[in-house]
Amino acid sequence: MSALPRRIIKETQRLMAEPVPGISAVPDESNARYFHVIVTGPEDSPFEGGLFKLELFLPEDYPMSAPKVRFITKIYHPNIDKLGRICLDILKDKWSPALQIRTVLLSIQALLSAPNPDDPLANDVAELWKINESEAIRNAKEWTRKYAMEN
Amino acid sequence: MAELLNIILNIVRNALRMLSLGRPAIDNSLNINIKCSTGNTLSVGLDPEWDIGEVKNIIAPKLGANPKEVKIIFAGKELEDSIVIKDCDLGEQSTLHAVKLSKSFVKPSSGQLSSVIAEAISDEDEIAVLQETIDRAGSQFYVHCPVCNDLRLGKLRVRCSKCKSGAITVDTDPKSWSDVLKSNKISGHCEQDDCPDGAFAWAEFYFKCTEHISQGENDEAVPLYLLRNNFKNIPCLACTEIKHVVFVFPCKEAHVTCLDCFRTFAVLRLRERQFVLDDAIGYTIACPAGCPDSFIDECHHFKLLTNEQYELYQRFATEECVLHAGGVLCPQPGCGEGIIVDSSCDKVACSNGCGYVFCRKCLQGYHLGECNSLDNASLSDDIHHITDPARAAQARWDEATNVAIRVTTKPCPRCRTATERSGGCMHMICTRCSFHWCWVCQIEWSRDCMGTHWFG
Repeated sequence: MSALPRRIIKETQRLMAEPVPGISAVPDESNARYFHVIVTGPEDSPFEGGLFKLELFLPEDYPMSAPKVRFITKIYHPNIDKLGRICLDILKDKWSPALQIRTVLLSIQALLSAPNPDDPLANDVAELWKINESEAIRNAKEWTRKYAMEN
Repeated sequence: MAELLNIILNIVRNALRMLSLGRPAIDNSLNINIKCSTGNTLSVGLDPEWDIGEVKNIIAPKLGANPKEVKIIFAGKELEDSIVIKDCDLGEQSTLHAVKLSKSFVKPSSGQLSSVIAEAISDEDEIAVLQETIDRAGSQFYVHCPVCNDLRLGKLRVRCSKCKSGAITVDTDPKSWSDVLKSNKISGHCEQDDCPDGAFAWAEFYFKCTEHISQGENDEAVPLYLLRNNFKNIPCLACTEIKHVVFVFPCKEAHVTCLDCFRTFAVLRLRERQFVLDDAIGYTIACPAGCPDSFIDECHHFKLLTNEQYELYQRFATEECVLHAGGVLCPQPGCGEGIIVDSSCDKVACSNGCGYVFCRKCLQGYHLGECNSLDNASLSDDIHHITDPARAAQARWDEATNVAIRVTTKPCPRCRTATERSGGCMHMICTRCSFHWCWVCQIEWSRDCMGTHWFG
């Protein structure tokens, strides 16, 4: 394994020293490219009060290619599928080496505040979100209580 | 008349002898070409310790002038008598220009000129950068030198835009890259005898390599003006290291990467065929931060890549040009010849390349009727011809390649580029024509595909 690039070290240090409010990202003890992430559900969203676990991996050619991010905690969200995969342009074709772990996690937090049923990943969730928003929000709150509020 | 000339020549010879006698032999002389405004070029060895006054003493007789009437010009500046040669940034085989002063010459009023230049300069930051480059590093520029075929330090030089003579003095120094790169920005006075522009000439800047002996006035280098010395200590946007030399993208924010990250970024974009063919600029990329209007407009910057990568760049660029013009690329393995086709005819022959005859639509061997790649290919197996064994072996290999491509790829529904899916979702974006399509349905990507089988 090649040495850890300075960029990753600096980003990690900054994430530790000045964490993003509502987000914690800690590198794995055995692999500095693998981060254990916890995002708190944003206020005034159906995910409020929940703690959502994610995994984030920095591929070999990071920052030239995007980090790989996935929700581990189950979540009822039109842009996140059953396996926790996220529909976010900056993780795909809009990725730029000028973006960082920090900006990616902030975008994911923003996605929780503003679900976008017009660009869905989980089609059934998106459908319900459009037809009956209050029921969809009720489901999201229910899932948050059930899966994201252990203890 | 002839007698008079002889007398003058004798005087000159004597003067030269006296000069050379009066000096110890020159050990480390510089061979310099001195170009006279009369059109003659003299090759002389100069001691770097001499001053310009002494050079004038040597050169004046050749011009038939008094040393006081001679002006020595180098890189757009008149050199004063007291300047010592070694301080002039002259290299082996550099060219100095010697001019006999003409009494009729009147300097144009400076008020007029400064107003012209004030209009020409707009980007204050640019001015600062260029000025800083000159102040701190003594005119350090990065160039691609075609002779060394590598990145080199360059020297800024100037000539008259009309007669191309170096016997020009500039009215002001260039203050920004646009002054240097664009024409008719800096005015000057061309002292070449027969120059039609004369006192109202425009300076034309060019660069020379500092690392090899000049091979004459046409030996130029291409300025890589997006490479700058990192005086402001700006970290690379990708690796965050602060490097001495950086690549400054031509976006408003002037985003910076180090040269290694520029190379990685460019090669990644190239291999994914993410370069863009711009009508005005050519095949290029923009700032990695996605800034608008940030195409690299001097394609020699891609010479920073290895020779092999640069060849790939040239090949892709040519292919994109052919496709852009409505042409096709010969599908025969190892050929790839670009062919401009008649859009009314489906039969294409690679007449300048391998001779393969193929269908314009499906890029398989030419056939009659509808395209159906699998069936048409197998038809020919039944017919036996006498073949050259070497070619037959080659053909078997090609057939195996075709089978592998058929098995592992699917064609883009729009441009039929064979596409391999190496993981990820079913949403394909064609690297050649940017069409969004579904790997499962092999039609345009839709909400329906996203909902039912995005990840298979």
